[in-house]
Amino acid sequence: MSTLRIEKHPIIEEYYKGPLVHFRYDGKDAEGYAGESVAAALRAMGVRIHRYTTKEHRPRGVFCAIGRCTDCVMVVNGIPNVRTCITPLEEGMIVQTQYGLEVGEGK
Amino acid sequence: MKRYEVIIVGAGPSGLSAAIEAAQSGLQVVVFDENGRPGGQLFKQIHKFFGSKEHQAKIRGVRIGENLLAQAKELGVKVILNATVLGIYKNKEVSVLIEKEVQNYKADAVIIATGAAENMIPFEGWTLPGVMGAGAAQTMMNIQGVRPGSKILMVGSGNVGLVVSYQLMQAGCKVEAIIDAAPRIGGYGVHASKVARTGVPFYTSYTVLEAKGNATDGSVSSAVIAKVDERFKPIPGTQIELDVDTICIAVGLSPMSQLADNAGCEMTFAPTKGGNVPVLTQDGETSIKGIFCAGDVGGIEEASSAMIQGKIAATAIAQELGYIDHDTFEEKKSIYADSLLKLRAGMFAPGSKGKVIDKTDEGYTISKSILTHGYLAESELSDFPALDTSGGEHIVIECTQNIPCDPCQSACPQGCIIVGDNITLLPKLSKEKKCTGCGLCVGVCSGQAIFLVNDSYADGYGTVGLPYEFLPYPKAGTIGKALDRSGREICDATVVEVRANKVMDKTAMLVMKVPLAQIGSARFFQPIGLESLEGVS
Repeated sequence: MSTLRIEKHPIIEEYYKGPLVHFRYDGKDAEGYAGESVAAALRAMGVRIHRYTTKEHRPRGVFCAIGRCTDCVMVVNGIPNVRTCITPLEEGMIVQTQYGLEVGEGK
Repeated sequence: MKRYEVIIVGAGPSGLSAAIEAAQSGLQVVVFDENGRPGGQLFKQIHKFFGSKEHQAKIRGVRIGENLLAQAKELGVKVILNATVLGIYKNKEVSVLIEKEVQNYKADAVIIATGAAENMIPFEGWTLPGVMGAGAAQTMMNIQGVRPGSKILMVGSGNVGLVVSYQLMQAGCKVEAIIDAAPRIGGYGVHASKVARTGVPFYTSYTVLEAKGNATDGSVSSAVIAKVDERFKPIPGTQIELDVDTICIAVGLSPMSQLADNAGCEMTFAPTKGGNVPVLTQDGETSIKGIFCAGDVGGIEEASSAMIQGKIAATAIAQELGYIDHDTFEEKKSIYADSLLKLRAGMFAPGSKGKVIDKTDEGYTISKSILTHGYLAESELSDFPALDTSGGEHIVIECTQNIPCDPCQSACPQGCIIVGDNITLLPKLSKEKKCTGCGLCVGVCSGQAIFLVNDSYADGYGTVGLPYEFLPYPKAGTIGKALDRSGREICDATVVEVRANKVMDKTAMLVMKVPLAQIGSARFFQPIGLESLEGVS
């Protein structure tokens, strides 16, 4: 489904993930696999910007991928500051780019 | 308040090993981990580990993780996930955040096995999306199955930088360069060599100056690197701009020792251990009786030693609480201590950090080319007697640094390879025993440093069998190019066969036919039409 997904790997036989699910990303329909991280589903779609900082409006994305640095936080199901790299994707999730602590206009 | 005899914080290699050892001794144990899945960082370690059989050498980290989990499950060890330990108190009370609620537990002993976090270096643009930890890239590709980027700059040439670079290629990414501000490559020569021979350039004495963002979404579109002087200051006019979309940072790890510090354990700043660490006894006990540390939290090493440290701490607790007697404790401890000692030997041992070592234990001059370019120079080959390519079908072992590893010795059914009990010594070839060309050692060597050469294959041609961990496996008859140790194309090559079996665990031996004159140089195969390696079909 995406050229960024690794379909065949010389060492890893299969990745731990559930069925295909649908979610909303910034008001658009999107899909990924249940149980993979929200960040992974977004990465597979080519998304690299997760949020913009409050003061200087600088873009941020995945940095540590293990839930430590909080760079990848987004608004998920209306809740801001959700660490997308360790939040499993679920059917029907609403994922939005975070501007400061809020959802941006038109998202 | 719930009670357990032992509370372990962290379900990584060290914590799980401690839990298994404790449960085997009959202790009632619980493990807390803040992550949704157990195993710490083990499941993204898809390379084969070093050491000896007792250290689970030649087994991939991910499988070691699976084995630990299975063992813990069989013993009924309780692992509570999504459980963040907030504080540990002197009386061995532990506060844990589980599902938005703080719960309090009490134990007779606590083992802190929280591991380490990646270090970072700031530079212009370092916060741009596309700059990430090497471990982050590893999580994305090896756990989530998504490539972090397409064209990568790796900053840092320690084992993490080298291993992750190789894994990025296995995932189908192109590694444009590996740079290090130090004048020497920091990780094992064998790890550097397996990357170098695919054509990845190393830049030692280089630092990253800037990450530039693209016009579309502002994420990384290039990286500017520059040479540094002896004082690590960038030299004007040496800038190189690399076309990359991802910059991975692998500049070391720091112990996550905050819990020990907050509990009131005596701390010390030890640069060779990676930072602020608790002062520990030989058994891993902190200055507070009954609070132990095991693994990277007490000083950066690697998973193999972390597992042993976990076992030692658990054994000490088992004795203290009366589950094993003093003699059993001493006996177990001496086995574990001995095992740990073997891993802490050689050129890359914790005690050798910062030292410049010129000679191997055997007295051979250490390859300078490996330390700066990542590969053995042809002019250095004669320094190592085991690298002779004449005399029919036999192996050459391009293992030229003292690192703790010996699976090659037991891999050979004929007994051709001798390492001996001191596992950091370089392997030697037996003069009496005859190589049958089975190739098992080629597939087993964790460093991918063994090659099967044959100088009597056909008139004017020889063959080279090399370790190969990329997809797709080329079919017999496939024509391509042979690359030398530096990744340079040197001649045409034809695949004779690709051999793989269960023992070799997904490291195939690719045998290619090359002109006889090249069997001492040809060390990698690249199919024609593939500019870069493809891990993706």
